[in-house]
Parts: sequence; C-alpha cells; structure tokens
Amino acid sequence: MKRPVAVVGVGQTHHTTRRSDVNIAGLVREAVDLALRDAGLEHKDIDAIVIGKAPDMLEGVAQPEQFLAGAVGAHLKPMLRVHTAGSVGASTALTAVTHVASGLYDRVLTIAFEKQSEGNAMWALSPNMPFVAPLVAGAGGFFAPYCRAYIVKTKCPPHIGPMVAANARDNATRNEYAHLREPMTVEDVMNSPMLWDPIRFGETCPSSDGAIAMVVASEATAKKGPRKPAWIKSGYSYAEAMWVPGRDQVSPRAGRVCSQAVYDKAGITDPWNQIDVAEIYVPFAWFEPMWLENLGFCAVGEGWKIVDRGEQKFGAHLPINPSGGVLCSNPIGASGMIRLGEAALQVMGRAGAHQVEGAKTALGHAYGGGAQYFAMWIVSSEL
Amino acid sequence: MSTLRNVAIVGFAQLPVVARDEHRISTEMLYPVVRQALADCGVERDAIDYQIGGSVDYMDGRPFGFVSALDVMGSWPPRQDLHLEMDAAFCAYYAWLRMQTGDCDTALVVGHGKTSEGDPDRVLNLQLDPYYQAPIGLDPTSSCALQASAYMARTGATDADFAAIAARNRAAGARNPDNQVRSAASAAELQKTPWAVEPLRKGYLPPVGESATCMILAAEGKAEKLCDRPVWIHGTDHRTEMQTLGARDLSRSASAKLAAEKALAMAGLPRASDADVVELYATTPAEELIVCEALGLDAKAARPVINPSGGPLCAHPIMSTGLVRMGEIFRQLSGRAGDRAVANARRGIAHAMQGHCLQQNLVWVLGTERRWS
Amino acid sequence: MNEPPQEPVKYVESKVYLPYDYIAGDYKARYLAALKDKRILGSKCSQTGKVFVPPLICSPESFAPCTEFVDVPDRGVITTFCTVNIPVIGRDIELPYVAASVALDGAAISIFALIQECKPADVRMGMRVEAVWKPDGERHGDHQDILYFRPTGEPDERPESYLNRL
Repeated sequence: MKRPVAVVGVGQTHHTTRRSDVNIAGLVREAVDLALRDAGLEHKDIDAIVIGKAPDMLEGVAQPEQFLAGAVGAHLKPMLRVHTAGSVGASTALTAVTHVASGLYDRVLTIAFEKQSEGNAMWALSPNMPFVAPLVAGAGGFFAPYCRAYIVKTKCPPHIGPMVAANARDNATRNEYAHLREPMTVEDVMNSPMLWDPIRFGETCPSSDGAIAMVVASEATAKKGPRKPAWIKSGYSYAEAMWVPGRDQVSPRAGRVCSQAVYDKAGITDPWNQIDVAEIYVPFAWFEPMWLENLGFCAVGEGWKIVDRGEQKFGAHLPINPSGGVLCSNPIGASGMIRLGEAALQVMGRAGAHQVEGAKTALGHAYGGGAQYFAMWIVSSEL
Repeated sequence: MSTLRNVAIVGFAQLPVVARDEHRISTEMLYPVVRQALADCGVERDAIDYQIGGSVDYMDGRPFGFVSALDVMGSWPPRQDLHLEMDAAFCAYYAWLRMQTGDCDTALVVGHGKTSEGDPDRVLNLQLDPYYQAPIGLDPTSSCALQASAYMARTGATDADFAAIAARNRAAGARNPDNQVRSAASAAELQKTPWAVEPLRKGYLPPVGESATCMILAAEGKAEKLCDRPVWIHGTDHRTEMQTLGARDLSRSASAKLAAEKALAMAGLPRASDADVVELYATTPAEELIVCEALGLDAKAARPVINPSGGPLCAHPIMSTGLVRMGEIFRQLSGRAGDRAVANARRGIAHAMQGHCLQQNLVWVLGTERRWS
Repeated sequence: MNEPPQEPVKYVESKVYLPYDYIAGDYKARYLAALKDKRILGSKCSQTGKVFVPPLICSPESFAPCTEFVDVPDRGVITTFCTVNIPVIGRDIELPYVAASVALDGAAISIFALIQECKPADVRMGMRVEAVWKPDGERHGDHQDILYFRPTGEPDERPESYLNRL
C-alpha cells in the first residue's frame, strides 16, 4: 500500500428474513446514509463507489448497481462492481481500500448488500445446470462432505458443531443488527433435523435481507474525525483453482496463503496472541474449527479443541464472531463486508453490547466458491 | 498532477469473434487466449502478480459462472485475484489502479462470456430497474433508439449521417481478421436496411458475438522485458450516471465527457483530437456521435482515425468489447495492427462503456512514450 | 379501471423468463457420448500425466493442455460423503441418500455421485464402489446413463490412498 487507509464510518441495516418496508434501492440507501452520517460526510465528499454482491439471480436484476447508481450517490462518480462469490463483501471492501491506497482517491464509499427475499434463493444459487445430474440442494450439500472429512481426520467429537452454533446465537443476543437472536442450546442444535449429515439445521446460516456500507479514507480525512478510525494494516484477496488434484478442501491453500500475507504485512507473527478478536466467515458451524486451523490460530487438528475449551467465546481468549457471524445473519453479498465492518467496529470501540474490551487488533475474513476465494484484512486502533 | 507510476499494456490476445463457437464452452475459449498472451510476452504464468476477470453471470446463464475461469487462468498456486461483474476494460482499470499502490507490478486481465447461449436482449433488459423500466420490455436496441432519437432531435442529425458512420466502420472492419463481420457496406446499402427500432436500422446495429480476451499490463521496469514496444498508459478515468432514462439528457453523455476531461488532464493532453487514433465502444452510429461530442472529437474528421478496427459494429463480444478497444490501440501503437495500421500513430484513446444509453464510460489515453519520468 | 387503488402497491411480481441453449463443448460432448458405450473418459495432462474426469481442457494444477483422452475404470473409492435429508429440485431420490465424492481408479480428481444399494449408515470413507449403468438400449449418451454407484464389497482403501483425492 502506498499510503495508510482507515475505515471512518460504518453503517448496516438490521438483518432480517424480509425487508418488506423498502425496495432494493431503499435497503442499500439505508446503509449508505448510516455510513455517511457515521463518517460525518456527505455524498459530495465521496470520490468513488465500490459496490459488491453475490449472484444477481438472487434479486432477478442483472448488474443491479446500474439502476442503483442514483440511489447510492454515484452520479458522475467512478463506480465499480465486484463479484467474487461468498467472499464478495470482503473483496469489495479491499477494492475500495486500493482506491485510497493508490493516492488517487481520498474517500471511497463501499457497499455490499443482498435482498434475497425477493428472488428464489435456492434456484438462484443452484439452478439446474446442464450436463450434470443435480445431486444436492444448497451450498450445505456441497460443503458437508468436507466437514465430514475434517471430523474424521481430527477425531472431532460430535458436539463441537452444536457448540459453535449455540455460541453464535449467544453472541447474537448482544448484536442488535443480527437476524437470528433467539438463544439455542447445544441440545437444541443436536435435536434439530440433520440436513446433509453432518450438518444439522441448527448449524446452518439463515437467508437474510441486509446491507452494509463503509467509508474508507486517507489519513488526512481519518484524522479529522468525528470517529476514531480503524486503520487497515493489511488486506488481500486470493483465489485458487477448483480441480487441482489433491486440493485440500478442508484447509484450502488459498486461505493459508492469504492469511499469511495479511499477517506478514501487518507484522503479526503469533495470531493467537496478537489478534484480539476475529470475525470469520462461518456459514455452517463446522467451519469454525476448520478456519481456526486454516487461519493459523492453532496447529492442524487442534481447532475443535479451542471450541471445546470455550476459548473463542465472548469474553474468552480470542472471541470469534462476537456479532453472531454468518450463522446468525446471512445476506449473502453483504456477509463478507459485515465481517470486515464488524472487525473495524471492534477496534473503533463501537461494537456496543458485543464490544470486546480493549480490542486493538482485529481480523475480518470471508471465503467463497468451492472454498476457493479468500479475502481478509487486519485492522488496528493504531496507525 | 502528481507523478504516477508508468504502466503499460504489454500484451493482448483474443479469439476471432464469432456468432457462436460450437466447440468450446466459455472457459475453453479463454484458455488458449491466456496461453497466447503469456507466450507473446515470453513468460510463464508465475511471472504475473495479479489476475482479474470480467464477466456477467446472467450472460453466462450460470450463477458464479466466473469461478470456473480460475481453472484455466493458471490459478495454482493460489493467486491474488479479483472478479468484476463488468466489461473487462474496467478490470484493466482496477489492475492499473492496483499497480499504482505498488502492490503488484504485472497483471493478467481477462474477459469471457458466451452470448450465444442466452438471449442478450432479455438479459440486458434485466439491467434496468425492476419497478418501472424493465417491465415495459425495453431491450438494448430500443434504449439505443431512444437515445438516437434524442440526439437527432437536438442536433438535427439524419439517417444519412448514421449510415455514413456505419459505412466507415464497416469499411475499416473488412481489414480486421478478428471481426465477426468482415464485409464493407456502403452508406446507401445500409440506408436501405429495414428499421430495427426506428430511427435505428438493422445495418446500424452491432452483430452480437462471443470471444475471449486477455491483456497483460506491466509497470515500468517490467514492461520493457515483456514487450518490444510497450504502450504506456498516460491517463484514465471512468464515471457513471444514474440509470433512469427519463432523468438524463440522453442526447449527451455527461459521464463520457467528464471521464475524458479527467483522463486527458492526467495525460497532459490538451484535446482528444491531439490523439492519432481512437477506438470507441459505440454500438450504434448515434452512440459514436454522442461519444465523439463528449470527447470533443469531430466524427467526420480524417484525424484522429476513429475505429480503424471497425469497432463494435463489426464485432461485439459482450464482456470483452471494451477490452478489445484497448487491445486495438495497443496493436496500433505497438506496430501490431497489420493492414489496418494508422500511419505514425503515437497517441491513442480507447473508450469503454456499460449500461443502457451510455450510462457508464471509461476513457484511456495511451502513448508510445512514458508519461512520467 | 375507474377507481384508484385502495391500498398502496407494495409488491411487484415479476417472472423472469430466460431461455439458455448451453453447448457441452467438444470435451464434454465426447465424454457424454462415451457413456452410451459404458466408457468413462478422462483427459490427460500433457505435462504430469494426471487424468481428469470429466475431461478438462487443461490441468488446473500445471496449466498445461490436456489433449489426450483415456479410458478410466467405472469403479473407485469414496473419499468423503454426506447423507442428504432434503430433496433436490429436479430429481426424485428416496430420502435419506448418500452423495459422495468418488475418485475413480486412475483419476486424479473426484466426481460427485449418488450411492445406492446400501444403507446410508453403512457408507464409509474409503469404501470401494462401482458404477451401475442403465441397461443396454436405454443409454443415450447423457449424464443419466450412470444411475448411481454401489459398494463392490472389496476391502476398504487405506486413508493414505484416498485422503489426498478428496
């Protein structure tokens, strides 16, 4: 990065099954207005807009950023649209960061959203593709075999997934923006229907309508306030091919390479002890122990033990997803940016009831595709 | 204007544009083009730091259609990567921007998509807002026609003016082996073609086709090793407008005008007409006239030469059409334009656009020499 | 239509109709045609010799072209799997059923396949399976020519042999 970049404003909507009170433009605008107000800026102060979302079939509009240009204040400004599957919210934020880091833009508005209640999400994500026999409905069916492989390889006990899910709901009770906030016990999860063994209903993410926006800005703007900014120490997005023989789909190489790059740039050599809080993309509970290993928080095979010991709970050594994470809110296109935004809120001291006390360094992470796309950042309260 | 990092186009490869490739799916079309671009630069995939692709799910008829492109772009070991749901020209912009941060020195930009598998008219109708504009069934030809009408009403442009522009593009396009349409046609012949949507005749519309494209960009220090005659980026900018057709002056392109002003200022070029050659992403003669006006170009002047490739009226591989415009300027300025070479071309302008009625516009100013020393 | 609407319009229902005519591409077409003859084809990486099923135009690993087609046996090993309890659109499979990653003998990557003729609870990682084809005369050279895979009864493969072919 050529020069420092900071998050100076964050705004998100209250994620829910269906926002029937606003149309797509209204949903997006809500997040935009909140972010601008948070940053103490107006539309005229914004130099460029970077917008991201997941498959456009989810809303039945192709390249919806085009019709939304007016609503987001993009008229006569540069606007780019990112789409990197599930990681899109995060890679969108990183694209905005590059704009400011380049020296050519001072204040960039970045937005991610999904109003998936308006389409048929199941069809949008897995329509009948030609020349292939449909075998499983939904992303869970694709990932379940790899969750199984993790469980078998590491001898992970069966209560770990339910513990992750129950803990996510507990976290969500402290996040007014989360979609699913009703507490769930480990027994509740164990008793919920098994969808694609080993993934149970209680271990899956919801389908949500939601939007999030952030303003990323140069040092000069960040230092003006009104908010204490979150300094972006590093951020990278990586991808790997799908059909590489022997590809590790339990701990994908792209995830390890990306996190290593992000840690190296931020000067982190001991993630477990140097990172205060992490918002990671866990759409199915079993991914939490898998990602703990992939992200280098522990040795291979040890991720589930962190969960077992409760070391990733709110108030414990390394709180994971104090917002409730993707398990509690999943507007698909927005989820990646929500992870990065929540990480920023933590080091800005603005996470309200789910604030991790004294959080100075936070990781925001997202993944997408057949566990091929990874986008992450490290934010800090210090420049 | 502060000093920026000199970045050049060092390679460009494309498949000849066809209406339908009967033998290859989208990614199978992309693979040879990526190999070709790398081979032309004399390097292996590992030599490139960054990759970015442009495509649209709806064109592909698959959600996440771009994910399979990773497998033909050499994405192993894992690569720094991005994908935009936009024409590949915008991907080139972002790659250039990323190089300005110093985070990468070389980039692979690809465009792909098979228009023949779906119905582009229906798909592009879905770009319109779903409340007021899409439901009335506006397809891209109709929205182009609305814009053409507005332009004629303001300027007095005539059917004959449109025919002349189309004929000029067709004549030039006959010399370009990569075009889908490679036959000249006179203005008189084109003026006799039936109305598609008045005031646009069938002869004024692009042939929608498919291709795959790959461009390699490199920063100073690397560029010289990858290409004998790198084409340097002097200035670039892009702008969008709101989509709502009724809320804009369709007879003009405010975003093209602003993008051009900014790009020219960055390039230190006083006027677009100071360039020797220009490639415009204009899918109809009306669009060409509107963009020329926005850029301050006289569409009838002999210099700069406009669309020596034949332009989109001879080949329109949606998702790559914008990158092809850049590729053509690269060919012109690096001595790779064969029969259609513009003599003594040292500076060029490439334009790309997206959306109905020229909603989004991107302008590049390019040259044979470095911009900043 | 004389009276103005009594209630504000809240929703606009819009059906999207998009016809697509997908081509298989020569590689896939050859693979599908061979299924009619109970043959499974893969393509071989010109650099590493690794075989990809279904055939790929290039190896995603080496980036080299895969120009040679080879036959691959219709049997292999389950590398991992899940037991599905929710129905998939477009098919009528009795629940619960097992969807598995099957690495055919000699193939470097797995295919995703339906497992039948055994109880889901009996399926194991490492289990040897073989294809069950539609009878002669009923195969048309499309992906439905292989009905499913079933256990062969052979001893399971050891983890080292399949854990890196997930």
